[in-house]
Amino acid sequence: MAARAGNRITSTVREAFASPLAAFLSVISAVAALALFWSAVNWLVVGAVWPWQAPDVCRTSSGICWPFLVEKTRFILFGTYPFALQYRPAIVSLMLIVLSVVTCRRLAAGGPAPDARGLALVWFAVIVVAFVLMGGGVFGLAEVDPVRWNGLPILLMLSIVAVVLAAPLGILLALARVQAGYPLLARLSAAYIETARGVPMLTVLFVGIFVLPLTLPEGTKVSPVTATLVALIFFHAAYFAEDVRGGLLGLPVGQGEAARALGLSYWQATRLVILPQALRRSLPSLVNSTIGAYKDTSLVVVVGIHDLTATARMSFGDPVWRNNALEAYALVGLWFFLSCGFLSAIGRKLHKSARS
Amino acid sequence: MKVLLTVAATMTAALAAIPAHAGPVMDEIVSSDKVICLVNPNSPGFSVADSEGVFHGFNTDFCRMAAAAILGDAEKADMRGVGFSDALKTLVAGGGHMASRSITQTGTRDADPGLSFVVTTFYDGQGFMVPTSLGVNSARELGGATICAEDGSTTLMNIADWFTDQDIEYRLENIADKTARLEAFFSGKCDVYASDITALFSDRLLSNAPLDYKILPEVISAEPLTLVTRPDKTFETVLFWAFQVMLNADHFGINSTNIDEVVATLPDQPKAIYRLFADDSATVDMARNLGIPEDWAYQVIKQVGSYSEVFDRNLGRKTVFGVELNDTSNALTRDGGQMFAYPIR
Repeated sequence: MAARAGNRITSTVREAFASPLAAFLSVISAVAALALFWSAVNWLVVGAVWPWQAPDVCRTSSGICWPFLVEKTRFILFGTYPFALQYRPAIVSLMLIVLSVVTCRRLAAGGPAPDARGLALVWFAVIVVAFVLMGGGVFGLAEVDPVRWNGLPILLMLSIVAVVLAAPLGILLALARVQAGYPLLARLSAAYIETARGVPMLTVLFVGIFVLPLTLPEGTKVSPVTATLVALIFFHAAYFAEDVRGGLLGLPVGQGEAARALGLSYWQATRLVILPQALRRSLPSLVNSTIGAYKDTSLVVVVGIHDLTATARMSFGDPVWRNNALEAYALVGLWFFLSCGFLSAIGRKLHKSARS
Repeated sequence: MKVLLTVAATMTAALAAIPAHAGPVMDEIVSSDKVICLVNPNSPGFSVADSEGVFHGFNTDFCRMAAAAILGDAEKADMRGVGFSDALKTLVAGGGHMASRSITQTGTRDADPGLSFVVTTFYDGQGFMVPTSLGVNSARELGGATICAEDGSTTLMNIADWFTDQDIEYRLENIADKTARLEAFFSGKCDVYASDITALFSDRLLSNAPLDYKILPEVISAEPLTLVTRPDKTFETVLFWAFQVMLNADHFGINSTNIDEVVATLPDQPKAIYRLFADDSATVDMARNLGIPEDWAYQVIKQVGSYSEVFDRNLGRKTVFGVELNDTSNALTRDGGQMFAYPIR
């Protein structure tokens, strides 16, 4: 075992210095990596101010300021949600994270198709409970205005809920677009998809916040959170539709014809034969779109919703902690690194099983 | 019997005095038992959330002033952090009662029938900060300089107006994010940093060596930062005069720490102070007409403080901003500023 590891190292070294150019690039990258590593160690260990030290020490040290994170992590997570009620956004966040992880792992596990109906039911229930818990006003829960839904829960609600609700809409749009027998339906769907994909997400957000409320009957109040969520659902659905369409087009025509020949109706054939195969094929690209959608969610800051990046900025707006921007952003970065890392791990797994 | 009669008489008087119908906003505040006040989500010194998510600062204290005057409890101010364009929109749409978020009163904004500009709580203006090493003493010497400024505010327009009027060449570096903008300035990418004077004072502190930077004397715009409400005569009157009580308190040297002593010795106090706090004073007459607690003036000073107290607590010498009230336009008129304490009688 040790000999094999040794061999691998020697062969890596040999490759790294195979030619003068390779050697030059190797040395440069090694120096850069070492410098980066050293500054990371410096920041995290050597210059660090530990949680039990006084916050004042941070002013004179060059490393990470743990007292800042001890003081502000809860604020970065939940923002201005009433302090005594913060168990509510905590439950909502936990619920959404757990259910997302479970769903992703089920999808990646392969084998028999997951119980789609059961999963959809659980998702529906969780989404409803999430909104009720955040907003309150029923069952004796104190009402909390959506302006105060900040930080992690709002990021999760806008990203996960939007993705979950956009997925079925995307599937329907994709199915509509490949209907050769109904050219009008196919054209309409294509027109919608291309328009939505041709517009930047910022524009969609502004439309959601400023134009969408104008189209509603006078007097109806729609909170910025709801308006944004609706805009995001319609936006992501277009991207998902294209991913699913890729899967549909990749399917041999014989599959559909065989299903119909067996006497299945269109919907039966689609549900039992076509979609399961098409979705499996398009899952890797669906995961890519999901990662993109998730990261883009932070753009909602521009329409005045205080997600995780906004609460991070607010946390070092406190004059006492004004020099701790790096710590706040590092925390947010760590969260996105972990969550996106998980999603891409799922994506890689799906890629592998799709190829085999 | 006599006592009973007095009580009955007072009650009838009180009942008769309460207006049958205050303004719509005032009614809403009283029935919901809170003042919904829109503030800046992130403006150090003016309104910033603490670790428990509660907003504190100069601007938020005027939300607390409103709650103390109307509901008798400053803690009943429900402060919500919203962006600038959202604040005016939310207010017009009825999503808040008032905004205290450094909104400049301008003619076109005031002409909007959905908004009322009530009283200026802060006189600000736009200025410039430069490194001392640049050796510049006036903005007129800034020919050819690169200026870092924020997109999407009146800042850029003011710069364009001023430099064109002075016929000076300049280059603009437009960076939306404040942290990035300051970094560009401190690292020398821009020669000049433009913002409101108060922002310059607080931003300078973010440098590793604040003394290496100085703020030029030119103030190129007038920014009267004003409380805004949904139109409601009663509510506006309460806000305006609660603010005047805070200014008057400064005029007579009254603050939250000595108010109890002053009230205990009212008969010995000057007539003007008597008129502020006595049981048969002008403020009580006002309270009866406005439908607010009779001791509103006392509550405002006791719970929030006088104007200079609010200023010093949030921006003054003892804070990181270190601004001396009397060095700004926000001093009382007798101290050379623009804050004019209206008489209460």
